[in-house]
Amino acid sequence: MSALIEFDQVCKYYQMGDTLVKAADHITMKIEKGEFVAIVGQSGSGKSTCMNIIGCLDVPTYGTYRLNGRDVGKMNRDELADVRNEMLGFIFQQYNLLPRLNLMENVEVPLIYANISRAERHKLAKDVLEKVGLGDKLKNLPNQLSGGQQQRVSIARALVRNPAVILADEPTGALDSHTGREVIGMLQQLHREGHTVVLITHDNSIAVQAERIIRLEDGQVVYDGDAHAPEAVVQPTLSGEAAQEEAK
Amino acid sequence: MVLETFRQALQNVWSNKLRTFLTMLGIIIGVMAVIVIVGLGNGMTRSMRDSFSAMGTNTLSIQIWGYGSRTATVDDLYDLVKKNPKLLSSISPQLDFSDNTPKVGTTTYRYSEMYGVDENYIEMKGYTLAKGRNIQYMDIADNKQICVIGDYINRTAYGGNAVGQTIKLGPYKFRIVGVLKAKISNPDQQEGSDDDSVYLPYTTAMRLSNESSPDSYSAIMVDEGQANEAKAAVEQELYDIFKSDNAYYVYSASEWLEEMNKMINMVIVILTGIASISLLVGGIGIMNIMLVSVTERTREIGIRKAMGAKEKTILAQFVTEAATTSALGGTLGIVLGYIVSAIANQVLPMFTDGMDITVSPSFNSIAAAFGISVFIGVLFGYLPAKRAARLNPIDALRYD
Repeated sequence: MSALIEFDQVCKYYQMGDTLVKAADHITMKIEKGEFVAIVGQSGSGKSTCMNIIGCLDVPTYGTYRLNGRDVGKMNRDELADVRNEMLGFIFQQYNLLPRLNLMENVEVPLIYANISRAERHKLAKDVLEKVGLGDKLKNLPNQLSGGQQQRVSIARALVRNPAVILADEPTGALDSHTGREVIGMLQQLHREGHTVVLITHDNSIAVQAERIIRLEDGQVVYDGDAHAPEAVVQPTLSGEAAQEEAK
Repeated sequence: MVLETFRQALQNVWSNKLRTFLTMLGIIIGVMAVIVIVGLGNGMTRSMRDSFSAMGTNTLSIQIWGYGSRTATVDDLYDLVKKNPKLLSSISPQLDFSDNTPKVGTTTYRYSEMYGVDENYIEMKGYTLAKGRNIQYMDIADNKQICVIGDYINRTAYGGNAVGQTIKLGPYKFRIVGVLKAKISNPDQQEGSDDDSVYLPYTTAMRLSNESSPDSYSAIMVDEGQANEAKAAVEQELYDIFKSDNAYYVYSASEWLEEMNKMINMVIVILTGIASISLLVGGIGIMNIMLVSVTERTREIGIRKAMGAKEKTILAQFVTEAATTSALGGTLGIVLGYIVSAIANQVLPMFTDGMDITVSPSFNSIAAAFGISVFIGVLFGYLPAKRAARLNPIDALRYD
């Protein structure tokens, strides 16, 4: 039985002018079903590339990525779209709700692409919005809501297809610390209910809310393990070259 | 899914009302112009056909001016009809005698038409006698100065009792032996029409004009659809008599009508072409605004792709939006075209001097205008839609 998410020597290289950027450099990791994993790293560490690949928005240059046993690198664009629709729920830093659609319609977007009937869509969207505590605002437009509420809508939208993986990209980045904690609390709740949650963040204090941390640096995994171990939050570079630089 | 795409398109079009309207303006004006122009063309064609069929589209007019010493006798022409029973049903001389203006008392009838004809002419042209008798063979044989007159002179000059009275045609006195029933029911429109006419024996007309043979005939065709064949047959017979094609001229109203229709159609096609430029410009306007829309909604496209929208779904969404915009423009153009046509029908008679030209939009032109506007939307919406569909979801999501 293979893991839900399986990276095997995944590389993502870009040509930028004359230089080859190694955004992901032989990353190998596994995430099992039901885990709550934080992928942590500074900007440029490759965590966004990692999230794009996990989210099937991008495919590796080399190496293989298996999602639920299927090799994503071999899929065409339509198949990738289907996988995103069925298997993945995205939560973005900027919420990314469609401003002209009300909450119901926003949550129904993934259902439309799954060809689910109108009546069924309404029911599913309503249920999931009630679950995140917005059952009384179904017809509101996103801009009538606070940031925290909007992020809850985006969580509802991520959940509505009951995906195998919930992928949260800096979900607290645009929120104050109080509402940020609420959102993390919701993710933890989802984890307890059995969902697989992958959290991408640069913030150690957010990352430690997960069970497991995968720390990336320069496109490589530098730590992979328990979120509560002391090494999880240590910046390895500080003990290496960067520390020497600092000493000077 | 199709319904959903269409609903989304309407929603987007509706949420940008002013912009959509301005975008549609080119299409609206183009469709309106096409409808009005085609309508005007229909009206002109109809008006032309009406005035030609009044002349008789089943009639062949034959002019003979002879060639050297060769002439064609009346009997030659009668034989011509007998030889072509499938094409021609009858023929009569029709000498123009109109130089001799009728005069009754002190009143002259300057618009009247006068023809020297044979005994079959009245029936052949579809007139019926109201009173008195027709021109008879003996009148023709004896060059009698008798005539049959139309309803107009009978009514205005003789109070309806013209039979037995005399009428002066130029310097000559004629006895009226019969009067015809009116063809036009409205008495105000009779002057100068078929009802304002005088018919006399062609031999009399020949004698008084010093002519040795009739120079003008009118023949009735069996089938006006075969006007060209009938004309060719007559020309062939006349050529056989004169051995030259400079001695005669055969003219069919339906042939002229056809020519005229061709000309009108050509003008309409050119005008429609010019109006269509507006449709083209409108299409480019739609393309432009769709490109702006795609750029503005890059992030939305990214979100939709992350949620599982396929390229063809995004493509369909934007093409539908463009098509909806232009179809809406087309519909408004049709409505506006109808309004302008109605106004033109009120205004045109002031300028056309009694000619009965109406602007009558046809169903075909409306269907075509609508179809073309949708087609333009799809055509010019495709490029922006393709651009939207091709967007890389990662870049699109990051776009501000």
